[in-house]
Amino acid sequence: MVVVLKRNVAGLVIVFVGAAMVQLTTSGTYLRYVKPGMRWMLLAAGVVLIALAVTDVVVRSRQTHDHGLPRAAWLLLVPVFALLVVDPPALGADAAQRQSPVAAKPAKPAEPQGNAYWGDESHGPKPIAVRDYSVWAVWEKETMQGRSFQLTGFVTPAKNGVWYVTRIGLTCCVADGTAFMVEARGHAAPPKNQWIMVTGKWAEPTKRVDGDVAALTVDTVKPVTAPVNPYE
Amino acid sequence: MTTAEQHTAESPESSESSESSESSESPGSSIAFTATLVLLVGAALFGRRVFAGWFTDDGIRTWATMFVGVTVQALPFLVLGVLLSAALTAFVPASFFAKALPKHPALAVPVASASGVVLPGCECASVPVSAALMNRGVTPAAAIAFLLSAPAINPVVLASTAVAFPGQPKVVVARAVTSLAVSMILGWLWLLTGKGGSWLKMPKNRHAHDDPKFDVFRSAMLHDFLHAGGFLVVGAAAAATLNVVVPRAWLDHVAGNLLLSVVILGLLAVLLAICSEADAFVAASLTQFSLTARLAFMVVGPIVDVKLIALQTGTFGPKFAVRFAPATFVVALLASLLIGWWLF
Repeated sequence: MVVVLKRNVAGLVIVFVGAAMVQLTTSGTYLRYVKPGMRWMLLAAGVVLIALAVTDVVVRSRQTHDHGLPRAAWLLLVPVFALLVVDPPALGADAAQRQSPVAAKPAKPAEPQGNAYWGDESHGPKPIAVRDYSVWAVWEKETMQGRSFQLTGFVTPAKNGVWYVTRIGLTCCVADGTAFMVEARGHAAPPKNQWIMVTGKWAEPTKRVDGDVAALTVDTVKPVTAPVNPYE
Repeated sequence: MTTAEQHTAESPESSESSESSESSESPGSSIAFTATLVLLVGAALFGRRVFAGWFTDDGIRTWATMFVGVTVQALPFLVLGVLLSAALTAFVPASFFAKALPKHPALAVPVASASGVVLPGCECASVPVSAALMNRGVTPAAAIAFLLSAPAINPVVLASTAVAFPGQPKVVVARAVTSLAVSMILGWLWLLTGKGGSWLKMPKNRHAHDDPKFDVFRSAMLHDFLHAGGFLVVGAAAAATLNVVVPRAWLDHVAGNLLLSVVILGLLAVLLAICSEADAFVAASLTQFSLTARLAFMVVGPIVDVKLIALQTGTFGPKFAVRFAPATFVVALLASLLIGWWLF
């Protein structure tokens, strides 16, 4: 079953891998898998690979000998096929459901800001990252109490009608994706994975065996389109 | 494919004999070329339509995202690694390393460990580079020390550790000291046990010395990328599977016991295969664990994980990998316990 890799086929494999990387970068699809900061590295790697394969064809046409090449290289086509056929989406509710909604204690406690930190309420609910809310609502209660906030994230349903406004945080790539989840109270769950913008008031965190989960008493829920970079 | 057996990369010598008779324009090769091209273009044009409805399960889609994500993240570093290793092979004369490193292998080990500072990047880059070092006549013990220290103590990794643990510089110190110590211990361990052992598949210099330097560079890079890339894909698949299958909830039950938590976080680092520039942030978020256990996570991650084991199997041979990975894991855990007990 194992087919030997001839040099011209190897060139083809490399061109496709390189082209896939260039396509991921130029189309913005790479944001589903890695941090925005990886953009130029990905593009450079794709261009280097294409250049490698092209020079190989050009130079080799002047030479006669042909080395056997690693058979393992066929495997490089698997991720290319995965991209072309499955078109893997950004991490969503399924990935979040595999993690605990509990907010980890911040490595270094922030200075207590006090409630005045948010200014006056006349401008409406304060937009805040789900990542920040999920931590501050549990560990900075004094700052958050009695205030209204606006969160943008996707819907992760859980048992007994509980659902979470969720964002996934990335440090490098999806392998280290961490779910930040805020329990939304007082509103029926929208469809799984639906992107929404919710407004609501800070609520007392939910106690669980493994810790506390941030919560929000929902006032409004508005479906929105997914942001370009789905991660925080 | 009757010639398949003769033409494996693992036995470049055997292909030498037949290379003159096999020109690149042989009929078998152009059939393979056309078939691959048709398959790829077909998948690009119609793949989604033909397989629409096949991969709709949430778990499978999450797995595919993880798999593609790990591969895409690692590929630029692998390209950097093979670029550097091909440059070492083609442009740096073997005599340079003989002069730069101390003659005695036991002294060459710490020098190689410390020079790991200069290779910024993830662990994927250091495997082809250390293979090229062995290829250039550097003693395997020193190349192994470099392999282990480069992804752990480079400035990018240490800076990201400092950012992940603000106000706790001793975590950065502990990580650097432990990783350096582990890389040196394994280098010396190799001198004591592995020297003369037959289980390290020495990466061979496949190219005649009179070839033009640029041709050597090009051939080495092509070969190394294809080889390591294939194994990287295997590693990414394993990492994606474990990422999806292993529930993170069971971590909470073991956090209280120091010894158990060190072992569990060490294993987690092996299974998740997180890039060494990012693992400090994951370690910082595991707040239910002691600093010592999290140090073990950061020490093990850059030197043993499923992606690396696959890459090392491909580059140095399976006999090497089955001995090297467990040895590295155990030394890393012991060193983390010791340094953690001393510093935290």
